[in-house]
Parts: sequence; C-alpha cells; structure tokens
Amino acid sequence: MPVGAKFLGIFLAALAASLFRENLWVLLSIWTAALGGYLLAGMGLRGLLAQLWRMKWLVVVLTIPQLIFLTPEETSFNVSRVLAVVLLAALFTLTTATSDILAACERALRPLDRPLRRVGLSAERISLALSLTIRSVPVILSFYAEIREAQRARGMRPTPRATVMPLLVMSLRHAEETAEALAARGVH
Amino acid sequence: MFNRSETLRDSTGSSPAAAGPSTAVRSISQMAMFAALVAVLGQLPAIPLAGGVPITLQTLGVMLAGAVLGPWRGAGAIVLLHLLVAAGLPLLAHGSGGLGVFAGPTAGFALGWIPGAFLVGLITQASWPLRLWRTITGTVLGGILVVYACGLPVMAFQLGLSLQQALLLNLAFVPGDVIKAVIAIMLTHSLARAYPAPFTHARRRRHARGPAR
Repeated sequence: MPVGAKFLGIFLAALAASLFRENLWVLLSIWTAALGGYLLAGMGLRGLLAQLWRMKWLVVVLTIPQLIFLTPEETSFNVSRVLAVVLLAALFTLTTATSDILAACERALRPLDRPLRRVGLSAERISLALSLTIRSVPVILSFYAEIREAQRARGMRPTPRATVMPLLVMSLRHAEETAEALAARGVH
Repeated sequence: MFNRSETLRDSTGSSPAAAGPSTAVRSISQMAMFAALVAVLGQLPAIPLAGGVPITLQTLGVMLAGAVLGPWRGAGAIVLLHLLVAAGLPLLAHGSGGLGVFAGPTAGFALGWIPGAFLVGLITQASWPLRLWRTITGTVLGGILVVYACGLPVMAFQLGLSLQQALLLNLAFVPGDVIKAVIAIMLTHSLARAYPAPFTHARRRRHARGPAR
C-alpha cells in the first residue's frame, strides 16, 4: 500500500473521530478498521496485544483525570475513541519503514520545490536536514556519556545546568564541523 | 528560512569567508543538531517533581532552540524533530514517537513547541547584546504560555473536558516548566558570552542598525 494513501486514510479516520465524536457507529468502524488492519498486516493477535499493552500508560493518563470530572460512560467513550485513533496511527508506524516515509516526504515536497526555493528552502535541503538529524542523535548521546563520565570523575552532581551547558557547546561546535565537512564535500 | 547574506559572515569574522560553508549549510547543520539535542534531552533520566510526576528536559531544549538559534532556525529545528517523530522515530520524551503522538491528548503541546520556539527566538534575539528582560519575557511567553495555549484546547477537546479542567490537570507541570525556563535563561546568557557564534539572528539585527553601538 502506498505511503501517501495510508497516511491519508489515517488522517481521515482521525478527522471523522473528532468531528463525529458522539457517534457510536463512527467509533465502531474505526475500531474495526484498526483491529482488522492489525490482523491483515500480519501482526497477528500477539502483535495486537503487545501494541495494546504498550498503550497501558496512555490508558491510565486518559482515564484517571476524566473520572474526576466526567461520568464513567463519557470517560469510556472518550478513552476508546482516543485509543482507536492512536492504535490506527501506530499501525501506520509499524507497517511503514521510516526510510520509506522519508522518501515519500521528499517526493511530496518535489513539486513544491519552486515556492520552497523562494524562501530559501528546497526538497534536497529538507531531506539533508532530516538525515543529518538522525545521524546526530547518537553523536549527542555520546557527548552526554562523555560529560557524565567527566562529572563522575570529579565527583560532581549532574545538575541540569552543569550537564546541558557543555552539551550545548559541544553540539554547536559539532554543527560547525559538520557544516565545514559538508562544504568540503561540495554541498552549498 | 536561510539567510544568504555574505556580508554577515564577513562582518562577524566567525569563519574564513573564502572556504567556509554557506550560511544555508550552516543553518541546516545547526537545526539538525538542535532537533537531535531536543530528542536526546527527552531521553535523559527524568527529574521526579511535584507528586512524583516524571518530567524530562525536553521543553528546556525547545526554549534553548529558540533562544540560541533565533525564531526561524529554532522553529525549524522543532519542525525537523516532529517530521521524524511522525515518520516513526521514538524521539519524544521517554521514547515515544510515531504518528500516534499526534493523535493523542498531548499532541497540542508538542505542536505548540513550533510557535513557542519561534516566539522565544523572536523576543530573545531582538537585540545584541542580549537583554536579560527580553530573554525572560521571550522564554516565559514562548516557552510556557504559547505551549500551554496550544496544548490545553487540544487536550480539553480530546478528553471532553473544559479548558479550566484541562488547566487544573496540567498545573502539576507548571513548576517544572518555570524551573526549566530559569535554566534556559541562565544557559542562554552564559552561552552568549562563551560562544556567541550561533546567535546570528540577534547579531544581524545589531548590524542592521549600524555598527555605532
């Protein structure tokens, strides 16, 4: 199934759920779509249960505050509506590789290249920025490990300020080095 | 979004004009790095606060993105982060991610980071050198008020509550956000003294007013 169509389907389901929020039939059809989707995608019952278990905290966060202010009926209706949409959206994430989504994102941006260029952007630059971000996450995690090690060696307490300041400087220096490396490879 | 003026780089003297990277490439690199930084700050060990609610430093990263990179690049960094989250990477607090985040009750808070970071940058970097009162105003307005103004209506709508009830539920997070704002303000001013190179938005404004001051 193409990424764009899948995304559009989920978007429309979420829209329907919020527009017809009191309608039991809309809710039931979204649950059917979500549950059917999991079985059709080959997740099986175990995959579905694992996904539901992963949402346990969401259920807690959703249920407790509503029980304070609303009736149990309203609460169960609201919770099941949010869960259905989240379940459906998670199905998109589970059945689509991140690289496919990013490629689809770049394809979708291509026709917009001309207006994007007017504000100094381009599909190429956006996809460069996205892949740079993915590569930067482990780099910054290693900076954090380095900082923690140095703090431990000096017996320092890891207060947010003492940790984030070096992290900021190291990250910004690394950004400068990355920009220079890109320039050296002919990216302008 | 990218400033391509060559005069800026020459006037600040932060890099050799001939062989250095273009401003666009530097901006891309800085935005990517900040998007990753906000993601990492959401994964670090949480600070238990007020009633055992675990909070992360993720919103501190959002405030810093705006304050350090300025409105356009700061908001751009958050957009990058959200694109990757929507594409399925677990980059939000405690490894949450995927399209489900934007369907859940806290979607408004996450999306509010974009205008939030923009406003923080716009106010904080309105002048160079930075003024403390501007940084405080910007961080509180953009980093806290705008985020809540986007987050509370979405949560109220999703849970079928009134705005006051939604606000009541989120009061536990306000002290943490205030502490993070204070840390963000101190870090911004320390960084402006120690490493002023990224504050190009503010420095360009000073340059535009003439080099007299």
